[in-house]
Amino acid sequence: MINVLATIKIIVKTLIFPGAFFAMAAGLLLAGIDRKVLARMQKRIGPPVMQPTYDFFKLMGKETIVPHAANRRVYMAAPVVGFVSLAVMMLFIPIGGWCAFTGDADLIVILYLLTIPAVALIVGGSASGSPFAGIGISREMVTMMSYELPLIIVFLAVAKKVGGDQLFFGFRAITNWQIANGPMIAQLAMIPAALAMLLIIPAEVGTQPFDVAEAETEICEGPLIEYSGAPLGLFKLNTAVKMLVMTSLFTALFLGGITSGIHTGITLWGIAIVDHILRALIHVAISAVITVVSMTTIHAATARLKIEHLFKFYWTAVTGLALISLILVWIGF
Amino acid sequence: MFKKIIAASTAKSPWIYHINTGSCNGCDIELVAVLTPRYDAERFGFKLAGTPRHADIVVVSGPITSQSKDRLIRTLEQVPEPKVVVSIGSCPKSGNVFKGSYSVEAPLDKYCKVDVSIAGCTPKPEAIIEGLYKAAQILKEKREAMNK
Repeated sequence: MINVLATIKIIVKTLIFPGAFFAMAAGLLLAGIDRKVLARMQKRIGPPVMQPTYDFFKLMGKETIVPHAANRRVYMAAPVVGFVSLAVMMLFIPIGGWCAFTGDADLIVILYLLTIPAVALIVGGSASGSPFAGIGISREMVTMMSYELPLIIVFLAVAKKVGGDQLFFGFRAITNWQIANGPMIAQLAMIPAALAMLLIIPAEVGTQPFDVAEAETEICEGPLIEYSGAPLGLFKLNTAVKMLVMTSLFTALFLGGITSGIHTGITLWGIAIVDHILRALIHVAISAVITVVSMTTIHAATARLKIEHLFKFYWTAVTGLALISLILVWIGF
Repeated sequence: MFKKIIAASTAKSPWIYHINTGSCNGCDIELVAVLTPRYDAERFGFKLAGTPRHADIVVVSGPITSQSKDRLIRTLEQVPEPKVVVSIGSCPKSGNVFKGSYSVEAPLDKYCKVDVSIAGCTPKPEAIIEGLYKAAQILKEKREAMNK
């Protein structure tokens, strides 16, 4: 009986802010901004910013076909598992210096959770029983391997920079360090790591030059080939939410603490609602800028890579950038 | 309320799947031109889908050769409801100059209900955009009919 309020708070955090609903709304908005800005870069008028939302609701109303060769349960569950893990990830990533759940090993939890949407895509694709999906999932696995290594090195560099003699993986420690010493990106040693992170975002989300796994012109959208209706809509939603999660992760690691100075002092039922809304709005605006810089610009300027080129690019150039940062931090810069 | 949102979204996000049944490539080029920066059909939400499972509007071009007939019927069955079939150019409508050939099984409406038929050899991109826009409205009506 004592913890009714605490339970309600946890439910609101998980389902509304910063969990499922906020992740959905902000993710779809970012995907819309991405498509609109891309269109303007190609001198087109482009779809309305609400377009991914229309796509999502349309797919919710379509017939769902399950192929005979498919394993029905796994096929239907895969997109849901992916979405849940993305929504949970939003609970750990700080929004304007505030996060719903905190611990001492947030970055490690996030590293594990980050693989789940990709694994869900692989499992769902292989459950559909299509040979095109087979090619797609093998490519998705290689993509995963390519960006995981530099991502781990970036996390290590940040943890070492914050910790000094030890490694600090908690977001509270990372945010407090940045409030005290200025944003991480202003540190000379961390600039290569920030660049590496900006290059990891498009591979993780799966946008143009790195969308080898879902190449619609050569392997008919790979793992998604047999999906239709609501599960397809959920997979499209997962891609949109991944944009929000990855850009939020960048903000938390390299631009943390910028909005933590906002204090209006207005409270409602003991919660500083106005502060939260302002911080969330600024957070989404920063996310939109990172989306345009890291995804839309590269998308507009490049064509799709081959899978072996993608692997080589990530294990040489991007890993190299991340390693430079790690070594610089380790020797004390 | 959700049904209304879904019906409204259906008209705004029609994904196209294009089947070439032995066309001379003229209509195919014009259809792709519709999606390029000059005409930019994406401003109405049109998108070229990679597989029939993702499609809302199926665009058929070409005079339906005997070889492609079975594949056409199979592909049309793979599209989830609600779907709209659009024929593009004169070939699927009548057989055009190939009419009477031993290998052409022309009118498309022998095999499925054609909702919109865009005439011309080849139709202008403006005509194609108008036809596809009408198809999107029919798609919405079909979705609303599914609610009842």
